[in-house]
Amino acid sequence: MAIIELTDVEVSYGAVKALQGVTCAVQGGAVGLLGPNGAGKSTLLKTLLGFIRADAGEAALFGFKLPEQALEARQRLGYMPERDVVGRKVSAVSFLTYCGCLFGMKRTDAMERAHEVLNYVGVGESRYRKMQTYSTGMCQRIKFAQALVHDPKLLLLDEPTNGLDPEGRIEMLQLIKELVHKRGVTVLLSSHLLPDVEHVCDHVLVIHKGRIVREGSIGDLTTARENLFEIRVRENKEAFRQALEQAGCTLQTHPNGNLLVEKPAAMNPRLFFEIAQQKKTQVRHFVPVRHRLEEVFMQAIGRR
Amino acid sequence: MPIYEQTYRAYEGKTLRGFRWWVMVKQELRVLFATRPFLYLLIVAVIHVSFRVFQITVYDMVSMANQSAALMALRNIAMMQVDERTFFDFLRIQSPLVFLVTLFAGSGMICNDFSDNLIEIYFSKPLTRLDYIAGKIVTLVLVGAILTAIPDILLVVLHNLLAPGRETLRETYWIPFSILAFSACIVLPCVLGILASSALFSSQRYAGIAVFMLLFGDSALGSALPGLVRNPNFSVLSLPMAINRMGETLFNQPKKTFPLHWGWSALVIALVCAAAYWALASRIRRAERAS
Repeated sequence: MAIIELTDVEVSYGAVKALQGVTCAVQGGAVGLLGPNGAGKSTLLKTLLGFIRADAGEAALFGFKLPEQALEARQRLGYMPERDVVGRKVSAVSFLTYCGCLFGMKRTDAMERAHEVLNYVGVGESRYRKMQTYSTGMCQRIKFAQALVHDPKLLLLDEPTNGLDPEGRIEMLQLIKELVHKRGVTVLLSSHLLPDVEHVCDHVLVIHKGRIVREGSIGDLTTARENLFEIRVRENKEAFRQALEQAGCTLQTHPNGNLLVEKPAAMNPRLFFEIAQQKKTQVRHFVPVRHRLEEVFMQAIGRR
Repeated sequence: MPIYEQTYRAYEGKTLRGFRWWVMVKQELRVLFATRPFLYLLIVAVIHVSFRVFQITVYDMVSMANQSAALMALRNIAMMQVDERTFFDFLRIQSPLVFLVTLFAGSGMICNDFSDNLIEIYFSKPLTRLDYIAGKIVTLVLVGAILTAIPDILLVVLHNLLAPGRETLRETYWIPFSILAFSACIVLPCVLGILASSALFSSQRYAGIAVFMLLFGDSALGSALPGLVRNPNFSVLSLPMAINRMGETLFNQPKKTFPLHWGWSALVIALVCAAAYWALASRIRRAERAS
């Protein structure tokens, strides 16, 4: 049974179609939800939370039909919204305990769990402070913690690294990664930050104008490009460069100083090594250049 | 150095189903009772209760001591006499305080959830719209009951304890029901109106001012209209007057407010409650969809 199952889901706001024939099945792992603003990412998340009833098609979480059995589904999922959350008069411990109780946990269990989860997300001793005194980064951690308090099987994360400093961002991504790989939690990560998605997720769904325009594992999508290679040689760099140009290759310099060489389609890559031997140099670095996720994304939404 | 590894653990405890609204009520009350101005307002309410305890104690002790002269003297002082009017007056005098306390407690209850983006968090939990609304309403109704029905019923019990006997019981057995009904007439429109205002306005201050202005305007209309059309029955359009009229009926008091049948007052109160609930529920429904 798929954890998330959408079949021909259509959602519209009046005349505007927010989702059109969305079909996908998520079996587990970490899935990145990518798309430009207004693509339908938030509508998809709202449909999965059971806030919105699909005009057509079927949506189900853990086999529970949405929105009819949304409460059963929500019992098993944690949601981290994009917008900042501030509980003015309560501490983080109190807020998380309350959230735990809303999931039906006993107050003592919820409190114990709140402490555990706050430790886990790195809030530490600040957990006793009123939430209104927290920085954006702290609020982000609290939002993450409230999604974890009941030990969900599925996490819906909307821009989880917003407002975090570089160190905090890496920590957050590591936590998400750990949850996926060590705890078996399924994550649907909606983000504009492609490196974040690339860091955490195994699969991506690219959504554009309400349709899923590309989906698959990141490994498959970012396949090696057939004719583009990154090469570094030990010496006689200029002679090597000229020889490559004479062989019909197009050359560029990578920001790291290596050569980006695009060979003619008919040329055998073995020729690079023969040229190097002729020019009395050694090839020290030779890798085929892969498609970057950014390129895949831009291509999918028709910008490139 | 930590004595154990602080890591993520699976939750192996049980989760209970249903009554999520009660979780909300407990949390809201916990937050309210930790607020100092709220406690000060409750202390003001205690002063009135203390006076009524004193009144009932003195009256019952004198009546039980068979001191007829003293009893006659007490009965001549309307303020010290104990009958159904005493319990009616207690609620009537408490009603402005109920308004103030529920306004303080309730005006920010929903708009703060909106501005703090908590609505989205709550509805991502197994919580329905009805649970959310019920949680807020029950919290404020309990606060209202703490100020009205609960102390008033306890005063009736005190009266029966200090002057035990069939006669006291016969005179007072119906009063708790009237107290509950009149408390509901005072508390419900107040609670629903304040919560509706809190849902419709973006800040606690605006929500409070809006309720205050609405009540002020309604009272002014209810006072001016009977004079303009020379018909006292138009006072029924004023919510406080309609509530008072219900109290007069429930406690068998002479009709001082206006002579119109109490059913009209009940209708006005019911309409106000229904309109406020509709505004509240539709705003929450929109918020759930938009969150």
